[in-house]
Amino acid sequence: MLSYIVRRLVASFFILLGASFIVYLLIAYSGDPLAEIRSSNSPSKDTQIAVRTEMLHLNVPPVLRYFIWLGGASKCLIGQCDLGVTLQNQPVTAALGQAIPATLQLLTAATLLAIVFGIAIGVVTALRQYSTLDYAVTFMSFLFFSLPVFWVAVLLKEFGAIKFNNFLATATISPGVIVALALVSGVVWAVIVAGTWRRRGITFAVAAVVTALVLVFLSATKWFQTPSLGPVVIAVTGVAIAYGATVLFAGLRNRRALYSALISVGIGLVAYFALQPVLDRTGFWGLIGLLVIALAVAWAIGHFMGGYDRTQSIRAAMLTTFGMSLLIVIDRFMQSWQSYSDNPLVRGRPIPTIGSKIPGLDGDFWITGLDTMTHLILPTISIILISLASYTRYSRASMLEVMGQDYVRTARAKGLSERVVVTRHAFRNALIPLATIVAFDIGGMIGGAVITENVFSFQGMGQLFLTGIKSIDPNPVMGVAIVTGITAVVFNLLADLAYSALDPRVRVKA
Amino acid sequence: MKIRRYGVAVAVAAAGALLFSACSSSDDSPKSTTTGAATAKTGGTITVAEVNAFFSFNSLTANGNTDINSKVSLATQSGFNYVDDKLTLQKDPSFGTYEVVKQDPLTVKYTLSDKAQWSDGTPVSADDLLLAWAVESGWYNDGTTNADGKVTKGTNYFDYAGSTLGLNDTKFPTVSDDKKSITIEYTKPFADWESAYSVQGIPPAHVIWKHAGLANEDAFIKLLQDQPKGDPSKPAKTNATLKKISDYFNTGFDSKTLPSDPSLYLSDGPYIVSAIDQGKSLTLVPNTKYQGDHTAKLDSIVIRTIADPQAQIQALQNGEVDVIAPQANADTLAALDQVPGVQVHKGNQLSYDHIDLNFSGVFKDKNVREAFLKTIPRQAILDAIITPLDSSAKVLNSQLFVPAQEGYADSVANNGSSAYGEPDIDGAKKLLNGATPTVRILYNSDNPNRVDAFTLISQSASKAGFKIKNEGDVNWGSRLGDGSYDASIFGWISSGVGVSGVPQIFGTGQSSNFNGYSNKSADAAMSKLIQTTDKSEQTKLQQEIDKDIFSDAYGLPLFQSIGVDAESSRVGGIDTFNPNQNGVWWNVWEWTVKS
Amino acid sequence: MTSPLSNMDEVSPAPASPEPEEQVRGLSQGRIVFKRFMDHRGAVIGIIVFLLVLVLAISSIGLGPIPGWWKYSYKETPDIVNGGHPSLQFFPFHLGDHPFGQDRVGRDMFAMTMRGTQISISIMIIVGVVSALIGILIGASSGYFRGKVEAVLMRFTDMIIIIPSLIAAAVIAKSSQHLGGIWFLAVFLGFVSWTGMARLVRGDFLTLREREFVDAARLAGASNRRIIFKHILPNAIGVITVNTTLLMSSAILTETALSYVGLGVQAPDISLGKLISDNQAAFSTRPWLFWWPGLFIVVICLCVNFVGDGLRDAFDPRQKKFRLKKDKDDQRVAPVALEAPIDDALDGTSEAPGRP
Repeated sequence: MLSYIVRRLVASFFILLGASFIVYLLIAYSGDPLAEIRSSNSPSKDTQIAVRTEMLHLNVPPVLRYFIWLGGASKCLIGQCDLGVTLQNQPVTAALGQAIPATLQLLTAATLLAIVFGIAIGVVTALRQYSTLDYAVTFMSFLFFSLPVFWVAVLLKEFGAIKFNNFLATATISPGVIVALALVSGVVWAVIVAGTWRRRGITFAVAAVVTALVLVFLSATKWFQTPSLGPVVIAVTGVAIAYGATVLFAGLRNRRALYSALISVGIGLVAYFALQPVLDRTGFWGLIGLLVIALAVAWAIGHFMGGYDRTQSIRAAMLTTFGMSLLIVIDRFMQSWQSYSDNPLVRGRPIPTIGSKIPGLDGDFWITGLDTMTHLILPTISIILISLASYTRYSRASMLEVMGQDYVRTARAKGLSERVVVTRHAFRNALIPLATIVAFDIGGMIGGAVITENVFSFQGMGQLFLTGIKSIDPNPVMGVAIVTGITAVVFNLLADLAYSALDPRVRVKA
Repeated sequence: MKIRRYGVAVAVAAAGALLFSACSSSDDSPKSTTTGAATAKTGGTITVAEVNAFFSFNSLTANGNTDINSKVSLATQSGFNYVDDKLTLQKDPSFGTYEVVKQDPLTVKYTLSDKAQWSDGTPVSADDLLLAWAVESGWYNDGTTNADGKVTKGTNYFDYAGSTLGLNDTKFPTVSDDKKSITIEYTKPFADWESAYSVQGIPPAHVIWKHAGLANEDAFIKLLQDQPKGDPSKPAKTNATLKKISDYFNTGFDSKTLPSDPSLYLSDGPYIVSAIDQGKSLTLVPNTKYQGDHTAKLDSIVIRTIADPQAQIQALQNGEVDVIAPQANADTLAALDQVPGVQVHKGNQLSYDHIDLNFSGVFKDKNVREAFLKTIPRQAILDAIITPLDSSAKVLNSQLFVPAQEGYADSVANNGSSAYGEPDIDGAKKLLNGATPTVRILYNSDNPNRVDAFTLISQSASKAGFKIKNEGDVNWGSRLGDGSYDASIFGWISSGVGVSGVPQIFGTGQSSNFNGYSNKSADAAMSKLIQTTDKSEQTKLQQEIDKDIFSDAYGLPLFQSIGVDAESSRVGGIDTFNPNQNGVWWNVWEWTVKS
Repeated sequence: MTSPLSNMDEVSPAPASPEPEEQVRGLSQGRIVFKRFMDHRGAVIGIIVFLLVLVLAISSIGLGPIPGWWKYSYKETPDIVNGGHPSLQFFPFHLGDHPFGQDRVGRDMFAMTMRGTQISISIMIIVGVVSALIGILIGASSGYFRGKVEAVLMRFTDMIIIIPSLIAAAVIAKSSQHLGGIWFLAVFLGFVSWTGMARLVRGDFLTLREREFVDAARLAGASNRRIIFKHILPNAIGVITVNTTLLMSSAILTETALSYVGLGVQAPDISLGKLISDNQAAFSTRPWLFWWPGLFIVVICLCVNFVGDGLRDAFDPRQKKFRLKKDKDDQRVAPVALEAPIDDALDGTSEAPGRP
């Protein structure tokens, strides 16, 4: 095993070396870095050409120039990276140091959400293959996949930011919109809930009426200007989560698990009131600490309520607690919403179209947190929409595959409930091949999303790469290529190892 | 958007400033209406969208000379004068005054005001004035560069992005005893003296000489005094201290982040940089040490980097930015007109598109050149590209003047441009006499204006029998002058309009003469032009050159570009379109937030 | 395009699995695939719509020197009528002079969109063919020969994966004018997008080469070439077809993305991607310049994706329509493959579309 990893790493090193050479030559031959100066009628043309020539070693042939670059890069091995400077005379290492966090900030949430939603949708459509839902979801995911990114971005900005911010000025929903949304919601639910036409009809009616009522309420109270959940909504949602978690992990027949989850909801509600003053003064790490404490408490609840199968109760309690914690945090963010929205730098238009934060915004953790989140909303949605398709298709295929396996048939034959068959036997096995894809995608994340970063003015890796290519500036391009190359290689290896760990039939050749 | 200093020269010339009227103009009162300090302060924040990200506190070097660095320096550094939106030089006596003390030889005395000081409390002094002169004159350089741009012998000290023409022909300035003034004596008459020497944008000299290990200002002045003028034919040994100083000037102020050492971003202007979020934003706040007339009125100005023009418009629409200047086309303009609460300013920029014919290959024959030019549908190109932006726009009919200039009308009447008013296909056919020459046209295939101009030209030229070969190329810039094409469509920024830029483009064998144009009488007129200081004489010479160019069937100017900026209605102080590269920033100290 | 099997080099696959049972006797494999494909409603609609678009694009403005029935060519610049607004009307249906409008120099948007469709579909097909050929060759050789050949080829594949395709595109975009324009661009895009295919084919070959029919062929004296192309390749055709269709749909989007950053098809060539990225500023002011080509991109992509989806379902004998719960008493459903190794199974089924 160890020798396998070592061999892989050695091979990877040479691959990186080869790839970096090719990339360097490609960028060097992709154009003339002096073209812009040459075509100008600037009086100091010659000086400018001389300065740039000096900076990029343009008088050295590209093949040899690569070795100048490699000489600097090889210093990384002794901890003194010199990846050259950009055309703006900035060390590439500094540029990368700024771009990598920006890209990770943009892509982490988006990738994780896309994976979660993609797998969920894929599994559901696999279970209902060739149903209206399946066709609808397939169509939608292919449609989103087919839309050019910048198009999605422009539309999102128009409707998600500009129009939505205009709407926030009054925060009242017109009756026509309420009716339309109610009908849409009715149709969506009717499609999701399978069954006879009668059942679908009832679903449609109930969903439409409930949606309409909720919208009327939100509009009348101008909820969108001063959003909040309040203890009632938290309690109701918490109980729903408790039931859901129990169904997922234990089945409702396991009363102890259900009670563990419900007790968690109760403690969560008490914490909601008790913790408000603490939350006001907490920061990010404080929140993490609180979450850890909460999960520990949940574990204890499950452990003591547990009965013969403790793990089921523990899981149900912990998932419920996690949900409750999330609700409480969301509620706290909502409490800061109005003061964020009224900030003189925001001026009542909280959903932005560009950048990662408002420069110079002062505020506590909740205000700056809201600022970050509002800036991430639109790019995250656009990334999710376009990458959803691939995860949906992967997981649908994988799930279909597994559902046809003998062990699933065996499981059914021995009388297990469909819930157990799906969650215990099929779903887990369907996840195995997905692990590889997910690992690979996470590895590829650091390369950034060139176009999304460009339209949303996010100064991440993609943008660094793109401006480098456009101005034929080899050093930042090489910097990005090396970082992405290394992560690709590492995650490639991790994916293989994970695969062989998850599926015992795949052996790693030692 | 480079060559700022050069742009100033052009701007001044374009506006027809009288060059030797210093006696009357030196006592002009500034047009500033706000002499009282904090009285007009309105507070508030204005956010400006810019395409490029800030990267250097020295915008005068060849590398740092990008529009955004210059704009920041306009807000953070003062000078003896600045260019207003009418392209005239306005003086700022609260920084310093200058006067011509002698006409022959031309001698100018610059005197600093007591109010001029850096934000660390150091007064602006003779060291700053001398540094500006040393940089802008290129006096000490004795390096020779080869074709690859490599210095083969000698030393080049300061990288200066502007032209060293004129100031290079001066004696070493004399410094007054109080170190508040210097006197520059020109050995040759020089037309653009008023704009060529500028302190605006020069980094603080005391920071630089301290870095080089000099003890005080006197040591620095002595160093400059003792160093002889450079002569590339007899390169001297490199002066290590001066080299250290110039190296620090050239690269020491480059930074994409706010340096930990505050001396790297000192300000002697109304604003000072207070924060930089690398590549994303830059924040300016009032400079509390500033005592001049251009008092800051805002609490802060935030610059945000937004490269995508569509994103700029949507950000303005969403209230995230207050000022944008996207690239102008009919769609952006129409989109901006639809946005409520936004004022749009547009106007002619100091740049124009043109088609040039090579004086070799298929176009060696003048008849072929003339025939080709006769087919160019200039009105149709204008209608497609410019008219939607400005319905009153007209085809540009001069290679040297823009319509706003006095000399334009006369020149157009005599230069023979009327022969190319409307495409004359029959006339072209007659000149071609049945021949069907193949013409390769080079243009930037990434620029929609050039692509559309090419499309229209090739359609029209084919009618006369020309076979058009498309040489559209993203890499067009490096192909200029290499003979792989016969005609080229591209643009000049503010050149051909000013005096010293004329020979660079039209002079035989000059660096921007890509099509091999050579005309003896035009060459003679051009060398006279640079030496001529009389404005009307200049105009006359330029008209002669213009006529020569047209009668040689050099090529044709197509149209002057249109620029646009847009502001949310809460912004005050931006009332007109400023055609030069500084855009809205020329009067940044007058910006306010309307309540 | 990354494969789920991403770089499973030296990870030996599970032992070969027996052939899946034929569902219905007496039908050839091709027939079965065809039948299954025709059962997939989305795929059938997809292929019909795609063919309609293709016929429209070719017949309207013609192909090369052959003229089409539409009166304008995409190069002409007729006078601008009615400010360039589209003349298309649906109620009552009326084409008019410029159904999709005109751009600012007067070119007919319908002709341009048709030309863009032709180019985009050509790029799509070339990318598909080129990357399929290279991918099959490299994947088949490394999967069949294993050992040193495999090591070298797979390391080479890894290297190509690391090289960002944007760089390759930048080089091409800037020199393609002299090298044959879009054809060169398309071939080159194919050169950088075969890696996923190579891995999938290799994965398939790794298992197929262990099968009895390969031993039989070898005993009968067949050459390696014959075994690869005549015996193994037909068994891997499902993987290849599916992967190719998906590669093709992402090729259009890659080209669109490249056009957006100015590195795609270069003017005056037209592609759908170039049309919409050139006209993105017209999004709210002259929407027809933007929406029509955009609509065609979406339609083509959707069709190709659905066809790929249908092909996958059709080629995979293990995927059946099954209904939850009812399965247990539905005796007509034949048992599916026994012990199909998961990695093998996934090769054929899970290569979902990748984004540029």
